[in-house]
Amino acid sequence: MSLALEVATGAVRGGTSILFAALGETVAERAGVINLGTEGSMLCGALAAFAIGAETGSTWVGVGAAAVAGGALAALHAYLVLRRGANQLANGLVILFLGLGLTSLFGGDYVQADVALLQPWAVPGLSSIPWLGDIFFDQDPLTYLSYLAVPVCWWVLFRSRWGLLVRGAGERVEVLDTYGHPASLVQFAAVVVGGMLAGLGGAQLSVAYTGAWFENMTQGRGFIAVAVVIFASRQPFRVAAGAYLFGAALALSPALQARGVAINQFALDAIPYAVTLVVLVAFGRRQAAEAPEGLRKVFEISAGP
Amino acid sequence: MTAVAAPTGEVAATSADRAEAMRRAARTAGRWVVALGGALVVFGAFMSVKGADPLAAYADMWTSTFTSSNSLGEILIKASPILLAALAVAIPARAGLVNVGGEGQLVIGGVAAAGVALAFGEGGAGPGGMVLMMLAAAAAGAAWAALAGALRLWVGINEAVSTLLLNYLALDLMLFLIFDSWKDPNGSGQPATPPVPVGDRLALLGDSRVHAGIIVALVAAVVAHLAVNRTTWGFRLGVVGGNPEAARRSGYRVGLLLVGAIAVGGALAGLGGFVQLAGVEFKLRQGFLAGYGYIGFLASWLARHRPLQVAVGALALAAIAVGGDSLQIDSGLPAAGVNILMALVLVAVFGWTRTTRRSRA
Repeated sequence: MSLALEVATGAVRGGTSILFAALGETVAERAGVINLGTEGSMLCGALAAFAIGAETGSTWVGVGAAAVAGGALAALHAYLVLRRGANQLANGLVILFLGLGLTSLFGGDYVQADVALLQPWAVPGLSSIPWLGDIFFDQDPLTYLSYLAVPVCWWVLFRSRWGLLVRGAGERVEVLDTYGHPASLVQFAAVVVGGMLAGLGGAQLSVAYTGAWFENMTQGRGFIAVAVVIFASRQPFRVAAGAYLFGAALALSPALQARGVAINQFALDAIPYAVTLVVLVAFGRRQAAEAPEGLRKVFEISAGP
Repeated sequence: MTAVAAPTGEVAATSADRAEAMRRAARTAGRWVVALGGALVVFGAFMSVKGADPLAAYADMWTSTFTSSNSLGEILIKASPILLAALAVAIPARAGLVNVGGEGQLVIGGVAAAGVALAFGEGGAGPGGMVLMMLAAAAAGAAWAALAGALRLWVGINEAVSTLLLNYLALDLMLFLIFDSWKDPNGSGQPATPPVPVGDRLALLGDSRVHAGIIVALVAAVVAHLAVNRTTWGFRLGVVGGNPEAARRSGYRVGLLLVGAIAVGGALAGLGGFVQLAGVEFKLRQGFLAGYGYIGFLASWLARHRPLQVAVGALALAAIAVGGDSLQIDSGLPAAGVNILMALVLVAVFGWTRTTRRSRA
């Protein structure tokens, strides 16, 4: 396999967990809530998929449990932020610590668990398209699900009545309340859906991509997802592009090392973060202007007493 | 958005006011007790699900964390970088900035200090060299943080986002170096830099493992308290944080104040990296400082960014972290499980100890 093809395939496979989490974060941020606890939701999802998959013998039940677990953790974030007045950024980190702790406490028993992993499945016909077939249509089922999730997410956010409510909650809470739609309920739902998607991302990581569960296995992917959302100005299709960019950077170093190119892995690891910063520098002002108004308020002076 | 009240004189209280204030203080204290108690109960429930007896586990945690001089020392050792990283959050917070980059600033401070130690070679450089290590660490931390401040000012990138990204860049830079040109050729096992020469290490307090870093951190907290509450600079930071437009109209150089605040914070975190290197780790390795920057961030929020209270918060979170060892040794549960207790305490404090609720953060 050529290097480019291997990196592109790896970008999709490795980027999918980030893509799910970033789509979730997009929904939450569109509603005006930033969730740095995405990493925690991913971890809970990764463990839930693996553990419930092992206990029930059905990986798909595990995947469902992953969405529930990710959503539950995000619900706590939503409750504390929306109902108890906690700061979004600080509370997000608390949620991350909670996810880290919970998965380490309950995950130890499942490190060697036996789970039927989700194997890549070549789509008949589509997978024989040169290049594109290899890159996109010889993947695991959750990756196919992510292909659906991107346009669905876009359609819901920008073409449906639900999306209007979500974006309205992110821009002007008062208007929604005036028209009889409790804005905080909409925001709550958006954050929970965001956490469910992050949980699915974690599931893809454990039962499809890595095929294992170990403590702190997400290794910053949840934070990468937050970076991707900013990189992509909260637009689902751009989020997909950003997630695959990070996926490509993660796939590049093993691919190069397999070819005997001596390269320090950490130089490659730094690339996506540097790229995100450069993108933010290049488009920073425009992106700041496009951010939901509610979110801008969070960012303006968020360190109140 | 409510303005941050400037910490100037208080209106003289009448006796009725005083009685009301006492009632309020009692209510606040009650709320704290219930919140923290709730956190302990929930964590106890988790422990019993895992088959441990929560009461025995708490008793073991208490005894082995607070009654042995070893673990008391361990608390002080862990609290040093955590407190310095927390101050790196507290000072910019006064100006309304959210510095999530304490971790990266700690790391970069450690890298700079290690770089100086490496440059002097095995002989060490004596007291002068240690001063140089400190300065390099503080300067590196300040520069790393100021970069985020500058990006915020000139490009409009929110500092919470950029500092988060810079954390990963700092970490990758450190890992790059220890797997590359800074790798100890005589080292075995995990790659690490050569150890800091004995002459360049921080003095130990008495015959314990506790190093002078905790003194550095506590002095920094007092100085930060004075700087924030007793100087014109601190007052101006408060004005910028409360109402940047008013600050601008009063002729303050808002940009300079913002970058200055985050740079001072970064310098303190950089010092934290030095303290960790010269006081306890002696070499850079993978997992040098794992997470202390984030714990510091939470310590600052726990104490609502008031430097003296932040010191208490840092000590409390360090104690919980040390309690994790007991969890592992005495109760056979994973040490990282203690993160649950830390998170629950913060959830309780963030969610249930405020007098006033605010709909938006």
